[in-house]
Amino acid sequence: MKNLNVFLFEWRHFVKNPFKIVALILFMLAGIYGLHNGADLYHKQQAEIERISSEVNADRQEIINYYKEGVKGPEDRPWVDVTNPYWALRYAYKYHFKLPSAAMVYSIGQTEQFGFYKQVTFGSSPLDADMTKEIANPERLQIGTLDFSFVILFLLPLVLIILIYNVGSFENEQGFLNLVLVQYASINKWLLSRVLFYMVLTFLCVIALMIYGTFLTDVFTDESQAFMQITFLVFLYLVMWTVLFFFVLKSAKNILSNTLSMVGIYLLFTFIIPAMVHQWVSIDKPANLMTDFIDATRDEREKLYNEPEVTIHAKLVNLFPEIKNTKTAQDSILNKRVVRRSIAALGNQLTKKSVESIAEESQEKNRKIQNTYWFNPVVYFQNQLNQETRTHYQNYQDYSNNIQSAIDEQVKELVLDMYDTVKVDEKRYLNYTK
Amino acid sequence: MWTIIKNEIHFLCRNRAMLMISFGFIVVLLISVFLGIKQAEEQEKIYQEAKTHLRSQWVSIKEMNPHSAAHYGTYVFKPTNLLSSLDEGVNSVTGNVLRVEGHVQNEIVHSEASQMISVSKFGKLKSSLLLKFIVPLLLIFLAFYSVSSEKQSGRLKLLILQGAKPFYIVLSKTIAVWFYGFILLSIVVLSYTLLNLSNSTSETFLRLSLLFLSYAIYYFILIGLTIYFSTRWLRTTIALTSMLGIWMIWSVFLPNILMSSVEKWHPLPSRAEFKTAMIEDRSKGIDGHNPSDARGEELKEKVLKEYGVDSISKLPINFDGIRMQADEDYGNIVWDKHFGNLRKVQKKQKEAFQLGGIVNPFISLQNTSMGFAGNDNLHHQEFLVQVENYRRDLIKALNNEHAFGGSKTGNWGWTANNDFYKSIPDFAYKSVALTSVLSNYVLDIALLLGWLIFILLLLIRGAKKMQVI
Repeated sequence: MKNLNVFLFEWRHFVKNPFKIVALILFMLAGIYGLHNGADLYHKQQAEIERISSEVNADRQEIINYYKEGVKGPEDRPWVDVTNPYWALRYAYKYHFKLPSAAMVYSIGQTEQFGFYKQVTFGSSPLDADMTKEIANPERLQIGTLDFSFVILFLLPLVLIILIYNVGSFENEQGFLNLVLVQYASINKWLLSRVLFYMVLTFLCVIALMIYGTFLTDVFTDESQAFMQITFLVFLYLVMWTVLFFFVLKSAKNILSNTLSMVGIYLLFTFIIPAMVHQWVSIDKPANLMTDFIDATRDEREKLYNEPEVTIHAKLVNLFPEIKNTKTAQDSILNKRVVRRSIAALGNQLTKKSVESIAEESQEKNRKIQNTYWFNPVVYFQNQLNQETRTHYQNYQDYSNNIQSAIDEQVKELVLDMYDTVKVDEKRYLNYTK
Repeated sequence: MWTIIKNEIHFLCRNRAMLMISFGFIVVLLISVFLGIKQAEEQEKIYQEAKTHLRSQWVSIKEMNPHSAAHYGTYVFKPTNLLSSLDEGVNSVTGNVLRVEGHVQNEIVHSEASQMISVSKFGKLKSSLLLKFIVPLLLIFLAFYSVSSEKQSGRLKLLILQGAKPFYIVLSKTIAVWFYGFILLSIVVLSYTLLNLSNSTSETFLRLSLLFLSYAIYYFILIGLTIYFSTRWLRTTIALTSMLGIWMIWSVFLPNILMSSVEKWHPLPSRAEFKTAMIEDRSKGIDGHNPSDARGEELKEKVLKEYGVDSISKLPINFDGIRMQADEDYGNIVWDKHFGNLRKVQKKQKEAFQLGGIVNPFISLQNTSMGFAGNDNLHHQEFLVQVENYRRDLIKALNNEHAFGGSKTGNWGWTANNDFYKSIPDFAYKSVALTSVLSNYVLDIALLLGWLIFILLLLIRGAKKMQVI
């Protein structure tokens, strides 16, 4: 009952303090703005995917018409022959998308660092230039977008400071703390109840914001699990800051030292520690300039092209033993054109190897960062939120792996169909596009 | 006035807690300078290795057809800037590798940010992070304490009774706390200069001086405003919390919101739209690889007329090289149009963002800090332009060799020798002279100075209406 009284009393305290009310309103406005930023990006990506898909369909229809009309390719490119698997695959316009999650409304994470659509051909690689981020002002990327996760991770602790900075200390400074003690046997319980009031108030505001977010994208329909997980994460994050600040209030004596300590802790966890970890990782593992990948896609490929067809054929057979059963392989004279056009398969092996080693280096960096989570909680929560909204580095790594699988698949189709001297028709072309 | 300033400084030096905090700050600032330099050195090492590796590949080309060499191309890596150890600006998000090849102007790729999970939203532990976000908070607390302690002890009243003018009191307090910030700033700049003495040039010193100046002005603004609030409000904690709110809005909230908004006001095209538009424009020109292209035919007729022959086979030169260069020249017009458009939009975005300095001096500080450190978007764009100019020169040299090096039209097997490839210079980035780009920061500097004057006026007003008790 006493605790309930404290809650009710604190509510009166709160409504009589315009400064705190303004801070909370500002927080809510920032939250709404952040949610809209996330939703805008989600809708923008969806619209872009739809636009590309419809363009792809139109391009494919043009190729389908070639088959229907018995034409081999575009008039101004007489060397193109869409009945040949090599050209049919090049004109398959196969795109691979990273579909945005409806939960992106809550965190755009690392979305702006990566591309979300890619045309896949047998000559592609997951590190191609078109896998890079969307065109954006680098200064905006550097400052970052104010999304909901930013509001939670960086503004929520600040709001909490503003709401509780004078709890207990005000009474102490005004000299009526002893009077409070007479009414409440335990000062800790009294302090805790007051702090809990603000924690509950803040959490309710966050829930209200999150519910508002569900109206901007179909989170409940598509990502209800993510919604629950994010709510839980936000709750844990709020509890973490409440506990930290409670201990500050418990041990401090005046408003100034409370504020100083709380702001100090805030700066330590949100600025200093993440920045130090970032700096340390960058010194230990500087940005990769991709020379291995460059070598694989250029010089090593160049060497491949200079090898005799017999050697290339042997390597291809080694890669795809099924080749042995194809028409070309069973011919007594090796079809050099087939071998040359299948060379992309060996090039793919080279790039795959370099891409894997680069990914491993990145994972090593990630492990280093993850090992700091125990003293770097803000970055932990940041990455957890990114994971729930499928905007985490790993989600893009998975996307990149899927692209590699799609390339592998296309390479295999190319080699086997080339070796089998398949004549591509509309049906087969449509199969290529799947 | 000097007596009050001296007293303030004596007080700061006598206060044990203050000395401890100052010591801690100095250590962290020195660490940030050291780590910043260390990180820049490590990145520079990787950069030099990659650059040497790529150059050695280029000069090792023994025999190659010049057009094949244009497709083989080369790569340019973004160099580290000396001042990036203080403020790395946009470097971690811009990408580091740029492919230089025929037929196409590529975009810079493989940013550091795309190579790892999210770490710090505010960047690495560079001095700029501390000087922009953390030191101002310390100064706010000091400025607030400087007035509130005087009020609580009644010394303020005593000073006024002794005949000290209120304006001189507030100005002295502002200067005293500002001097403390000045010392921290000087420690960063001096330690940085000492550790980089051998690599520093007059350009570095000029940039460093302007960087120093913009931070010094910003600190004065922040301290002045805190002193004003502290003198105006009877309840000093309101002054402190107001200033904390202002710090939050200025440094965390507004830059983020404003930058997101300017990108909406002046939108950039999506990558797919951008590429499609370029392909469309590009298709209207000559196709260097297509001999039956109609526009190529026109060029052929022109060249035949020029050499007074009636067929390509009679030409003393290789027409393929000429067609390739004509293709490049047309492509260059297309790249200039589209990439130029991107630059224009980004310039508009920057100008709109700079105007944010009217309500938020932190924005002006952020612009000048990145800009004077040579790591803002303007410097990044300048790097991209230099690379593109290099690409054009390189491809032109290759096409000229193809056309006039001694081969005949259609002879794609003809090769240029190693001497020719060695003779092509490597890309050398010319650092942008600050004087050539200074006009871009005039607005930021003017706004900082405008704020400085405004704060002085506020202090005068604050002194007149000072709440002494």
